Amino acid sequence: MPFGLLKYGLSKDYPAQHHFTPSSTELKKHYDVVIIGAGGHGAACAYYLSKYHGVKNIAVLDKGYLGGGNTARNTAVIRSNYLTEEGVSFYRDSVKLYQNLSNEFGYNIMMENRGQLTLAHSDAAVRSFRWRAEVNQHLGVRSELVDRQTIRELVPNLNMPEDGRYPIMAGLWHADGATARHDAVAWGYMKGACERGVELHQLTEVEDVLISNGRVTGVKTNRGTINCGSVVQAVAGTSSVVAKMAGIKLPVHSFPLQAMVTQPYKPLLTPHVSSPHVHVYVHQTSRGEFVIGGGSDPYPLYNTRSTLDMKESLAAAALELFPFLSQARLMRQWAGITDMTPDYSPIMGLSPVENYYLDAGWGTWGFKATPICGQTMAELVATGKPPELIKPFELERFYRHQQINEAGATAASH
Amino acid sequence: MNEFETTAPDSGLRRSQLYRTQQQGGAEFASLNGATVVKQFAADDAQQLKSLAMVDLSMLPRSGFKGRQAPEWLTRQGVEIPAEPNRATRQQDGSLVASLSVQEHLILSDLQITAGKPQQLENDWQMDADTACYALPRSDSHAWLLLTGEHLRDMLAKVCGIDFAAEEFANHQVAQTSVARLNSILIRDDVQLADGSTVLAFHLLCDVSSVEFMWDCLQDAMDEFGGKPAGLAALLA
Amino acid sequence: MKILNCPLNGPRNISEFIYGGELHEMPDPNRCDSREWVEHVYFHENAAGIVREWWCHSATSYWFLAERNTITDEIIRTFPASEVFNQRVEFTAVEGE
Repeated sequence: MPFGLLKYGLSKDYPAQHHFTPSSTELKKHYDVVIIGAGGHGAACAYYLSKYHGVKNIAVLDKGYLGGGNTARNTAVIRSNYLTEEGVSFYRDSVKLYQNLSNEFGYNIMMENRGQLTLAHSDAAVRSFRWRAEVNQHLGVRSELVDRQTIRELVPNLNMPEDGRYPIMAGLWHADGATARHDAVAWGYMKGACERGVELHQLTEVEDVLISNGRVTGVKTNRGTINCGSVVQAVAGTSSVVAKMAGIKLPVHSFPLQAMVTQPYKPLLTPHVSSPHVHVYVHQTSRGEFVIGGGSDPYPLYNTRSTLDMKESLAAAALELFPFLSQARLMRQWAGITDMTPDYSPIMGLSPVENYYLDAGWGTWGFKATPICGQTMAELVATGKPPELIKPFELERFYRHQQINEAGATAASH
Repeated sequence: MNEFETTAPDSGLRRSQLYRTQQQGGAEFASLNGATVVKQFAADDAQQLKSLAMVDLSMLPRSGFKGRQAPEWLTRQGVEIPAEPNRATRQQDGSLVASLSVQEHLILSDLQITAGKPQQLENDWQMDADTACYALPRSDSHAWLLLTGEHLRDMLAKVCGIDFAAEEFANHQVAQTSVARLNSILIRDDVQLADGSTVLAFHLLCDVSSVEFMWDCLQDAMDEFGGKPAGLAALLA
Repeated sequence: MKILNCPLNGPRNISEFIYGGELHEMPDPNRCDSREWVEHVYFHENAAGIVREWWCHSATSYWFLAERNTITDEIIRTFPASEVFNQRVEFTAVEGE
C-alpha cells in the first residue's frame, strides 16, 4: 500500500488541479462568439478559436452541464473506415488529431488504439468491405479485408460457427480504430478554452435567437439577453429545436440510441467488434466492462427512456457473437438522442442566417468527429469561409441533390 | 373424402416448401388433389392433434380478393361476407371466408377439399376496369399451417403478443399479427376430430419463403408441451 | 412492450408497426420551386411535443395516423387516414414539361 498516495488523497492539496473552472460570473452584455451547447463539439470549437485564432471573447452556453449530453452517452468509438471520399478524409483527420490530443492538452484523455473489426456475414457485405478497404487505403486510412483465420487470431473469443444462421465470412480490420475517455475529451477542451478566457455558462438555456436583417445579433437566455457577433449551434439531439429559433428547418430526425454495459471482467477482448448484420457492437473498456450498443430506436423521440425489447435484441445479438456473456449481469443502461440525417453525414457550415453556423446532424458519429469538427468550425467562425474539408457537408448540399451517402457511418445499423 | 395413396416425397407436380424438413422428420407422404402432402408423421397423430400439433395445409386450395368493390363482387358470387374486418364466416360449401379489412377477403378451402368456392371464384374472376375488385391469389404467396390442441394457447403465448384466451378471442376471430417475428394471419377455427370431439385450432398463414423458419420456431415453441407435427390423414379420418 | 392501438386491428405491440414520417402537406409539384420540393422530401419539423404522423401496421400494410408526444413517448390517439384524406389525391402532369 503506497501510504504517500493515501496521505495525499486525504490532504488539503488534493486534487492538485481541477479539470476546469466553470465561470461563476454573470453573463456579459456582448460576446464575439456564442456557442450553444457545451458538449465535446462546442468545447472543441471554443478551444481552437481561443488557441489558434485569437478569438477569446466567447461564451459557451449549456442548458445542462459540460459534457452532460451525448458526449457522455456515446460508446466512445473512434474510427475512420468510412465509405465516401469526403467522409473518410474528414474522419481520418479527426483520428490524427485524437492521436495527439493528450499531448495537445497536457491532460490524459486515455486514448487506446485497440483496432476495430467489422464482421461480414454475407457475400454482399464482403464485397462492400472490399470496396471500403480500397477507398480507405487510397486515402491513407489503415483498413483491410481479413479472412476467418485472421479474425480468430484477433478475437479468439468470438463465436464463429461454420454453419450458423449468420456465418462470419470475413472482416474489415481497421488498425486505426481506438477509444478514449469521452468525458475527458470535453473536459480537456473546456479546460484549455477557459484558460484562454472563454466563459462556460452552465444551466444557461437559450430560449430564442435574435436576428436582424438576416443576420444573427444575439441570443435570449433564461439568464438574460446577450449580443454577439456570431453563433455556433452544437446541440446534437435537439438540433431541430434550436435551429427553429433561428428560423431554420433541418433534414434531421431525432432518435434515441440505447446502449448498456455489463459487470467488469478481466481483459478478454482487445478490439472493438461490430456486426452490421446482427445489429450490435461490443468492446471491453479498460475498466473491464463490456459495452454493448446497436442501432437507433425504431421511431423518433426526445426521450432517453429504456425499452426492454431493445435491450433484449441487443443482448441476443451480443450473445450471438460472444456466448460467454450469457452469465454476465448488466450494470447500467442509457440512451442518447441522435440527430439523424437522410444521408448519414453531418451538417456543418453556413446557414441561411448570416453569422449563424450549424454543427448538427451528428447522428451516431459525433464523438469520433469532435476534434476535427472543432478545428474546422473554429476556422469557419474566424474566417467566415468554410474550410475545404467540411465544404461538402454544408446544409446547401440537399438543395443541390449532392448528399453524401455515408453507408459506413454506423458500424451496427446498416 | 380423399383416398390417400402413399407416394415418394418428391413425386407429384406440386409439393410443399416444407417437404425436405418433413422428410427428415420421418413423414410418410401421399398424393392429394394432385399434390404431395404428408399423410402421417406417427401412428399416434390423432392423439397428437388433441394435445398439440401442427399440420401443413399448404397444398390445399385458397384464394383472395381485394378492392373497393370486392365485397360487392364476392356477394354477387354467393359469398357470405363477415360483418366486420378480422372475422371469418363458414360458407355453405364448407369453405371459410376471412375479412382482412373492409376491402380484402381471404378464402380457405375446407379440409376435405370438397368446397368448390376457392377455385370457382378464381375461375370466374375477370379483370374488369369498371369493377374495383382484384384477384389476390394466395396459394403461392402464403404457406398455410393448421395448429391444434389443448396446449395451443400456451404455445402461442411464446411466439405471439395477442391474448387468445377464450373470452378474448372467439371462434372465427382473425388476428393479423407477428408470430415468431414474422407477419402472419391467424384464424381461430376449432376442428372436429374423428372421435367426435372438438379441439381448439388456428389457421396460420405466413410468407411462403419464410415458412421453414416458421416451422422451426413453432417446433421449438411446441417442444416443452410435447407438441409435434401431424399428417393430414388423422385430421381427415 | 409499448402498445399502439391500430384503428383496424386493435391494440398491438409497437414492434408490429413501422413509423412512416410526419404528416405534412405536399406542395403542388407543378407550381412549387425546386427548393420547396427538396424541403418537402428531405426536411422535417422534428418537433419536440405533440406531433401528427403516419404509422403502418406491417402485418396488414395498413396505414393510419397517430398523435404522439415526442417528449413523453405517449400515444395520444390513433385514427384512420380517412379522417384527414376524404378524397382521392390526383396527380396531373403539366403539358409541355
